[in-house]
Amino acid sequence: MAPNPMPSALTFELIAKCSVTKARASLLTLPHGPVQLPVFMPVGTQATLKGVTPEQLEGTGCRLCLNNTYHLGLKPGQAVLDAVGGAHKFQSWPHNILTDSGGFQMVSLLELAKVTEEGVRFLSPHDGSPMLLTPEHSISLQNSIGSDIMMQLDDVIATTSPDLARMEEAMHRSVRWLDRCIAAHKYPERQSLFCIIQGGLNLELRRECCREMVARDTPGIAIGGLSGGEEKDSYCRVVDTCTGLLPEMKPRYVMGVGYPEDLVVSVALGADMFDCVWPTRTARWGNAATSSGTLNLKHGNYANDFSPIEEGCTCISCRPKSAGGLGISRAYIYHLAGKETAGAHLLSIHNVHYLLALMRSAREAIIADRYPQFVKGFFGKLYPDRTMTPSWAVTALRRVGVDLLAD
Amino acid sequence: MAELTPEQLETLPDEMRIFTIQKAIESSGPRLGRLSLAGRKVLETPNYLGNASRGVIPHLSPDNFRRHTNVSGVYLSLEDFIEKIPRDVPPIYNQDAAPNESALKRFICLPEDNIAVLGARRYTPVVGSAHNTDTSISICASVGFRSLPVQDYITATLKLCPDIAICLADVVYDHNPSRRRMEKVSDRTFSWVTKMIEQLNRPEVQESRPTLFAPIPPVPIGRQWAYIDKLSEELKDEISGLAIYDAEAIGNLPEPLTLLPRLSMSPLTSPNQLLQQIASGYDVFIVPFINLASDAGIALTFQFPPPATTSVDTRSSPVELGLNLWDKVYEADVSAVMEGCSCHCCTSHHRAFLQHLLNAREMLAWVLLQMHNHHVMDNFFARVRKSIADGTFEEDRLAFERYYVPDLPEQTGLGPRIRGYQFKSGEGDPKANPAPFTMLDAQREGLAESATPGDVPDSELIEHGFAEKTDKAS
Repeated sequence: MAPNPMPSALTFELIAKCSVTKARASLLTLPHGPVQLPVFMPVGTQATLKGVTPEQLEGTGCRLCLNNTYHLGLKPGQAVLDAVGGAHKFQSWPHNILTDSGGFQMVSLLELAKVTEEGVRFLSPHDGSPMLLTPEHSISLQNSIGSDIMMQLDDVIATTSPDLARMEEAMHRSVRWLDRCIAAHKYPERQSLFCIIQGGLNLELRRECCREMVARDTPGIAIGGLSGGEEKDSYCRVVDTCTGLLPEMKPRYVMGVGYPEDLVVSVALGADMFDCVWPTRTARWGNAATSSGTLNLKHGNYANDFSPIEEGCTCISCRPKSAGGLGISRAYIYHLAGKETAGAHLLSIHNVHYLLALMRSAREAIIADRYPQFVKGFFGKLYPDRTMTPSWAVTALRRVGVDLLAD
Repeated sequence: MAELTPEQLETLPDEMRIFTIQKAIESSGPRLGRLSLAGRKVLETPNYLGNASRGVIPHLSPDNFRRHTNVSGVYLSLEDFIEKIPRDVPPIYNQDAAPNESALKRFICLPEDNIAVLGARRYTPVVGSAHNTDTSISICASVGFRSLPVQDYITATLKLCPDIAICLADVVYDHNPSRRRMEKVSDRTFSWVTKMIEQLNRPEVQESRPTLFAPIPPVPIGRQWAYIDKLSEELKDEISGLAIYDAEAIGNLPEPLTLLPRLSMSPLTSPNQLLQQIASGYDVFIVPFINLASDAGIALTFQFPPPATTSVDTRSSPVELGLNLWDKVYEADVSAVMEGCSCHCCTSHHRAFLQHLLNAREMLAWVLLQMHNHHVMDNFFARVRKSIADGTFEEDRLAFERYYVPDLPEQTGLGPRIRGYQFKSGEGDPKANPAPFTMLDAQREGLAESATPGDVPDSELIEHGFAEKTDKAS
């Protein structure tokens, strides 16, 4: 069944493994430069990260960001992407880009989408006439985008669906679509195609999917269909199960995961890559990510708070003037929030920087083989009252040898 | 013209220290000058101030402002910082500052050497129905219309320490004042200016007091002679500049006031108008059409003087002042917004990306356009100064009028969302520039993030290779 090994546009080097948990530190080298894993990837849905310039994004340390195929397929469209020479040139981003397949948005956003063996059928948002998105369409678009990492079109259904037969069908169909994606992929030597493990919350289906897809030997592997409102316990079990079956020498990407706690736990479970719109979206609501939790700076409490968004943070917004930063205060963010777009830009930069820095320090901790201490320190700061620690995190981390409640 | 060294400037008499006129053709013509305040960037005039909203140049975070503009001074309005007085003290009043540091600059992260000019009202202000009184003016804060006591403005000025503060004027915005009302304008403005000077001259505030600009309210000079007369006699050593609300007033000012720098506070909608005001001797401007153009998706492309016309194209029609990037013709155009421009937008990005950002109503469009449009204005003013120095200004100005279309290109797409403090809506008006996504709760906003761009014709989906039309739903 395994075809000839795919040419690969990436190299993956394992740098260190935690001696207690399943956490790994590695180096992923892509066509547009190296990326240190574990990594958080911010999402520039429409080829831009919500008012943040590529130069500012680069300043946060980001070297790999997401674009959404569905959105780029509509605006600016394939013809423009081809004419311009792909998404890197289009948005002047010299570093790496990962694109999704477009299927998730189809299914989650278009109420009348229907999946058939050919592809995703949906009704035109314009006049309701039937349309069809196939694995071949998705790959063709991602080839035009020129993303460094592209995702297969998969059959995504809500993990919370009780219909086991449908779940099984979706899993098998995702495998068949993977084969079609591989066949349609024009530039395997320039762009790395990742498979997406499906199977809902059913661990048996997940195991089977892992076996099938690992046999296809894609350069990297994603765990999909999660982050859709399932119990965190179930989420952790799926990630844990899958990483246990995946080859060590390939990057593992958990799609759509983004809260700081989720990242720290998922790294302990052996995942390497994450993406989420949370840091930028929440910035537009005036929320700041900090090591002691999310602060809503639109709240009157911060109107007279002249301290930085987070003391000690090294992002351009927080860094004091004496260290070449702006020394922005919470009070100033309060003053701007919801009124001038620059307030959201400053917070987006801070939030993205926060998650990137969180993963950088996780990586350092793994290399120093003190990831369990790092995890405890992280949760200790977030929940000074230990009894408030969420039980899903306690359970998941116990399974990999870290007890958050023990001294 | 010999340049003065900083040491020489220090030794100049006080009234000379802030502004020196380096070249003036005649008493009412265009002039070259230098506005220099200790420790601040020198503003070579004619020049402009960035027009801040709530302490930022709209869309430009302070890091982008520093890195990608050459703006040396900004105009700020106190009403932008007022939250809920008198119940609550505006937070900015609680900002600490080191001795000799401006609390205002610290709060908004404005570089120390940038010139902060503070006035009471935004430029241009949203006008409410309430009137000014003998002791207060009507303002529009983000929390709605309020009145600002004159004393509060003076206190705020002392607290915030801008480099330049414009004294309050009794400006009637929404109708032409009656003769009696004009008298009142003169009396009130005089009394407010006097009061401010008095308080700023108290020994305890001498240390870091702002430099004062006196307002010339928009009523005929003859109707406010009582005030103007005192300004040019008793008060002339107390003030360092004029903020003039009516462009025409400049010709009628008495001689002693002509050495002061003149900040234009009159409406300014086009480069031609700007050039006319420069021609009549204004030195400093706040140029609202920079931001308006950016919000409209228009990249300014004019230059001064206009490119030399060859005999072939002298008959051709006037050239547009800017590029409307909403225009689909730029969809796949990878050339710089303006050929040869050295701004960040033009050196890093292309028209196709700007077109896309506007079309997708992404905030980055306005960020990049603001960088570019400010850069164009920097060059414009630099060339205006050169033209005055060369003695060719009037000729160049007329050539500019002939070469370009008088008005900016028409806006064809929606701008960013705008707020109540930025414009006044009439009763029953639809929402201005509605958000691209208007879902109500957090859950649905989550969907909106990646929502279906509405109204996509099938042909587009097929053409874009996104999907194909099928015969019938299966």
